Amino acid sequence: MTSAVTITRHGGTGGRTAVAARARQVVKAYGSGETRVVALDHVDVDIARGQFTAIMGPSGSGKSTLMHCLAGLDTVTSGQIYLDETEITGLKDKKLTQLRRDRIGFIFQAFNLLPTLNAIENITLPMDIAGRKPDREWLGRVVETVGLAQRLKHRPTQLSGGQQQRVAVARALAARPEIIFGDEPTGNLDSRAGAEVLGFLRRSVDELGQTIVMVTHDPVAASYADRVLYLADGRIVDEMYQPTADQVLDRMKDFDARGRTS
Amino acid sequence: MSVMKTSMRNFFAHKGRMALSAIAVMLSVAFVTGTLVFTDTMGTTFDKLFAATSSDVTVSAAGGEPDEVSRTGRPDSLPASLVKEVAAVEGAKSAEGAVSSMDVTVVDRDNKNMGSSTGAPTIAGNWTKNDLRSMEITSGHAPRGPTQVMVDADTADKHGLKLGDELRTITVSGDITARIVGIASFKVTNPGAAVVFFDTATAQRGLLGATGRFTQVNVTAEAGVSDTRLKRNVSSALATLTAQTEQGAKGEQGAKGVQETAYKVRTQQETADANRSDVDEFMNVIKYGMLGFAGIAFLVGVFLIINTFSMLVAQRTREIGLMRAVGSSRGQVNRSVLVEATLLGVLGSLIGVGAGVGLAVGLMKLMSAVGMELSTRDLTVRWTTPAIGMLLGIVVTVLASYLPARRAGKVSPMAALRDAGTPADGKAGLVRGLVGLVLTGAGAFALYLAATADQAKQGSLILGVGIVLSLIGFVVIGPLLAGGVVRVLSAVLLRAFGPVGRMAERNALRNPRRTGATGAALMIGLALVACLSVVGSSMVTSATAELDKSVGADFIITAGNGGKPLNPATVKAVEGVEGLGHVTRMKETPAKVTAPDGTSESGQLLAAEATYAEDLRRETVSGDLAAAYGADAMSVGSEFAEKAGVKVGDTLTVAFEGGRTAKLRLAAITSDDTGLDKGAMYTNLTTVERHVPAERLPLDTALLAKADEGSKDQAYAALKTAVAKDPTVKVMDQTDYKQALQDQVGQLLNMVYGLLALAIVVAILGVVNTLALSVVERTREIGLMRAIGLSRRQLRRMIRLESVVIALFGALLGLGLGMGWGATAQRLLALEGLEVLDIPWPTIIGVFIGSAFVGLFAALVPAFRAGRMNVLNAIATE
Repeated sequence: MTSAVTITRHGGTGGRTAVAARARQVVKAYGSGETRVVALDHVDVDIARGQFTAIMGPSGSGKSTLMHCLAGLDTVTSGQIYLDETEITGLKDKKLTQLRRDRIGFIFQAFNLLPTLNAIENITLPMDIAGRKPDREWLGRVVETVGLAQRLKHRPTQLSGGQQQRVAVARALAARPEIIFGDEPTGNLDSRAGAEVLGFLRRSVDELGQTIVMVTHDPVAASYADRVLYLADGRIVDEMYQPTADQVLDRMKDFDARGRTS
Repeated sequence: MSVMKTSMRNFFAHKGRMALSAIAVMLSVAFVTGTLVFTDTMGTTFDKLFAATSSDVTVSAAGGEPDEVSRTGRPDSLPASLVKEVAAVEGAKSAEGAVSSMDVTVVDRDNKNMGSSTGAPTIAGNWTKNDLRSMEITSGHAPRGPTQVMVDADTADKHGLKLGDELRTITVSGDITARIVGIASFKVTNPGAAVVFFDTATAQRGLLGATGRFTQVNVTAEAGVSDTRLKRNVSSALATLTAQTEQGAKGEQGAKGVQETAYKVRTQQETADANRSDVDEFMNVIKYGMLGFAGIAFLVGVFLIINTFSMLVAQRTREIGLMRAVGSSRGQVNRSVLVEATLLGVLGSLIGVGAGVGLAVGLMKLMSAVGMELSTRDLTVRWTTPAIGMLLGIVVTVLASYLPARRAGKVSPMAALRDAGTPADGKAGLVRGLVGLVLTGAGAFALYLAATADQAKQGSLILGVGIVLSLIGFVVIGPLLAGGVVRVLSAVLLRAFGPVGRMAERNALRNPRRTGATGAALMIGLALVACLSVVGSSMVTSATAELDKSVGADFIITAGNGGKPLNPATVKAVEGVEGLGHVTRMKETPAKVTAPDGTSESGQLLAAEATYAEDLRRETVSGDLAAAYGADAMSVGSEFAEKAGVKVGDTLTVAFEGGRTAKLRLAAITSDDTGLDKGAMYTNLTTVERHVPAERLPLDTALLAKADEGSKDQAYAALKTAVAKDPTVKVMDQTDYKQALQDQVGQLLNMVYGLLALAIVVAILGVVNTLALSVVERTREIGLMRAIGLSRRQLRRMIRLESVVIALFGALLGLGLGMGWGATAQRLLALEGLEVLDIPWPTIIGVFIGSAFVGLFAALVPAFRAGRMNVLNAIATE
């Protein structure tokens, strides 16, 4: 399974850096004066290409905000964000929408699919919107891998929660984006269905060379990642490579304890 | 109490979502209130006018109302000697004779009509003391002598008349040419009548044809004598007088004396009431017509309100479930929705009542612009008007929200626990399909019966039933039809728009009940438009075909749109035109025709010269129509002949009104299968002239003329010149006549379309409402689509396309239904001569395409708002 590892859509790998996305001195603040709340406080981060990165942190730590900013869903107060070599901070809505459509994939915690479209229509939606013909062979392989071949004509309401999330994963992969962002993609699933989806994400990194960034607060989910970033109070406070669930959990308890004593 | 509080909170939390429903309620209520205020104000204006113009007691001839155009060209009159007799009555302070006639046309030097263009009369009379009650001379002086005239200030203003200008007053006795010596202003609002005054002798000669006569005697009561008492005294004095005359007249004077002794004595109140009843007839047409359209708007508004509350209930399912879970009863939930509806009704109606008064004022200004003066000083808002407006608005709103409220009551407490997201309203069910099919089927059957009915009256009732049943049937079945129709429309229209079109189609289809109700609202208005345009267009086409077939005359000459009789001077002028083969005079004489078996019919006998048979070719069932114009002969229509069992050769008894009774031989029976002169009875002009005294003989209704071979154009021009001095006279050749007919129908249709616009506006609000609420409901979907790369432009297009499809769905149903109604009506009216079905495709297609634009327009704001939606808020998991 090495032949299809590289993502070829942007033409060759020659000029490509090892960093898929990076944030430089990113600040995100809400309100002003007395009521000013800083969600991201001068964050610098590099997302390595072809890696599975998890972002963790307690509620209100800014992990979701960071992901939204990286994905071009939210604007930053100051600082720069690059997707590959493209600076996305300061892009107009039209360009940003195009960028999300062509270069980014999304998996949300819930409500990932349009109820009016069936599974395959949902999967090809980003390409349809762009007016691109999906690559049949690739599509077939993605569908095959997520194990949905028998359910392509089903509407989302006819699918289980796990199946719905798998459709969402397939959608994210089908357009061969440079990077996939997941916002607690297994948050609404039971542990078995969750494991299925996570296993699939892991495989897509290993076998397809996909870059994935996932926000989660579940140590088990984080253990599927290559690297875990810890956020607290809008800052990256720690990171961990090749984590196990127990290590992550320990680290979290540690933060919690520190949080309470400080 | 807590129910009230939650309702209030909900209502104000969702005030934006309620806004369009409130506007719909407001519009309908405003239309009702506006209509009532407007007509009441008109009533007040006329009341004031009539109170000011009537004297304490008025004596007039019993024959006709003084304020009516008479057939003979002269109003009924009284001998001048009566003034003295009445003045001597106990309790009478004074009496004076007055002349007043509406059988006049007043023109300026350029032969331009000074009369009102809105149907208000032109009145000529003598200047009396009684007129000082309602008018005052504001410049110049009262007229003296045959060459002086005084005119009312409104007419003078409108036409730029000033002292010294010449006015020509056209009467049956000839023209009165006089210079303006005075201008008098009304002290009350004069809605539009043009009034001219002469001195008494000139008025008598010119308007009544003789001095020594008056149209009425105005009696003023002495102080302390009531109008009623004075009336009693006058009546008894006149009765005594009549008895004396009868005795004295025995043997010598006969009929004439008897006629003159019948008087009408009225108090001021009675005169005003009699005048009012004429005006009321006209005002009631306006009032009930407009209220009818307000009713249609209400009906359309009901759909909007149902949709609003259905959507609010659906969106609030979890909330309602929670309330149920913590112990609210079904009734409480149900009531809380109804309370919200009541609040909406109260608010909408309250604004509507205010807006209605504004609407009435606007309408008055509009009427002023077209020549009907109404003053805001007379603005009349009766206490019942706001009461009716409020009641209607609230009751309709609450009734419309009843179904959604009941559905809210049925939400189970478990709903609170279920996953977020809005459940569909449910698929259109089997029961609905069956009920809809039964209703539509029954409607279609009734329409079929109406189309094949052989009696118009009975048929129109069935037609009405058919229309109502099929409409309700379509409304019920609409959600089911939505699926198929939307798919077909999308296949044709939306495929071109790729995935955006596909999503628009799916969105329109996902909630058939909602799409059905939204489309149905538009359907109602458009069905009426389609139906009326089919009937109107068939009317014109049928009449044109009939004209081509039956009319042999080249020209028809009438006065004042056919409502007024022709002046003898005009007849003479026409008869003098060169190049005419013949001119046929024609009058309508009121008469009662009795068959040998006693069957009788009162109506107009058409008396004409024999050439009328060539001018209007009528098919006969038996006999020869030309023979009916022979001496003492006549014809009847086939329906009457059948009813009375008469055949050619029988003798009919004809009692001419104001004349003698004649025995006429039935010479022909005309076929009633026609649109022209249906059921008419024809006889010869000379026969009528022999039986009716000259002064009671009606003037000619119309002249028909045929040009000599090859001189049609010259004759047409010559005719126009000949009648140029009287602007009310119209010369029409067949082309003009057809055009006039078409214009008349077109005008009527435009007016109806204008009034239907209200219903259509409410329907458009309904589309906006549905889209706006759908957009709110689909916030998360929209967020998701935007996140994965749907551009704002694509999103807006998607919503616009959905809107267009919904609008076209409504248009298709409405136009189809309306054309069905129209075609049925035409089949039924074929009995009345509406032989040809003509579907005005340009109008129908225009309306259909227009509906697409309506859809685009309705989507403007919802699409804009969806585009502006913040992606993050939209996908927030909260």
